[in-house]
Amino acid sequence: MSAVEIWVTIVGLTLVTLATRNFFIVLGETVQLPERVQHALRYAPACALTALVAPEVLTQHGAWAIELTNPKLVGGLVAIATMLITRNTLATMALGMGAFLVMRLA
Amino acid sequence: MKGLLPALDSTRRDALLAGIWRAVPSLVATGIWGIVAGVAMVKSGLSPWQAAGMSLLVFAGSAQLAALPLIAAHAPIWVVLLTALVINLRFVIFSAALYPHVKKVPLARRMLLGYLTADFGFAVSMARWVNLPPEERGAPEQIWFLVGATASTWFVWQVTSIAGVVLGAQIPTAWGLDFAIVVSLIALTLPMIANRQALVGAATAGIVAVLAASLPLRLGLVLAVVVGISAAMATDVALENT
Repeated sequence: MSAVEIWVTIVGLTLVTLATRNFFIVLGETVQLPERVQHALRYAPACALTALVAPEVLTQHGAWAIELTNPKLVGGLVAIATMLITRNTLATMALGMGAFLVMRLA
Repeated sequence: MKGLLPALDSTRRDALLAGIWRAVPSLVATGIWGIVAGVAMVKSGLSPWQAAGMSLLVFAGSAQLAALPLIAAHAPIWVVLLTALVINLRFVIFSAALYPHVKKVPLARRMLLGYLTADFGFAVSMARWVNLPPEERGAPEQIWFLVGATASTWFVWQVTSIAGVVLGAQIPTAWGLDFAIVVSLIALTLPMIANRQALVGAATAGIVAVLAASLPLRLGLVLAVVVGISAAMATDVALENT
């Protein structure tokens, strides 16, 4: 992206933050979301984040890379295991990055 | 403290300080995320000024971290914004829960409070207000508690993000620290997968994202999110009918 495009993106992201955090703060109680829609809004972030992460760790150079020689897969699996066991962000970052760097050098 | 905050009566001052005090444990987590986001922003190719601007203006860690790999991959701006929007959708639900407590504040200041209320500020405040009877919602103490909890979060986030930007600029790109973005996204995502519906949705979205990764303009990501949410909703309906 060019510098201008990056600044446009930053301003756009700011508007996204403003709009979502203020949605009902501005609308008040005039609009009620159906329960079904509220559920969908709850599931959406996990779906989007997983869709971002999965190709990063499961593929290499555009092809499936589900093998233990893939440093990103190993780092990702170690991070997932650490987070599930410890619930500690710092430990997850440290062990996930550590496993990735060790595998990359190996 | 009296000299520092002379314009506030003691009830409001106590509420403000209580908000800051209750936020302290989450401020540690905010600080760690700030440093991670700061390093990640410069390592994914933003200039230090762009990174500082992003931190100061956007003030949404998970949306920022999610936007970075897309910016680095030259995805279209609308795909970046749509992805951030989906990740921020949880704030729409938060805003509905927050409204009764801030409804007496004039609109412009109310919107400033809404903008400042990220995950931790929301969680700290709701934990305090959960047992309030409906007629007591919206009292001035709640506003000042919220100001204390959210403004302290904003301050710590900005200071640590900018520290991360400065730190990140010193670290050679060859170290592969851009993978820190992926690891931090994993740490963010797992707590969101709190039930079977979310697990089905996330797993589906992940598989579709890999299968559709070759689509142009990162449209595979958009498709994955749509299919993932649909799968979660279908699981919702299926579980309800059993």
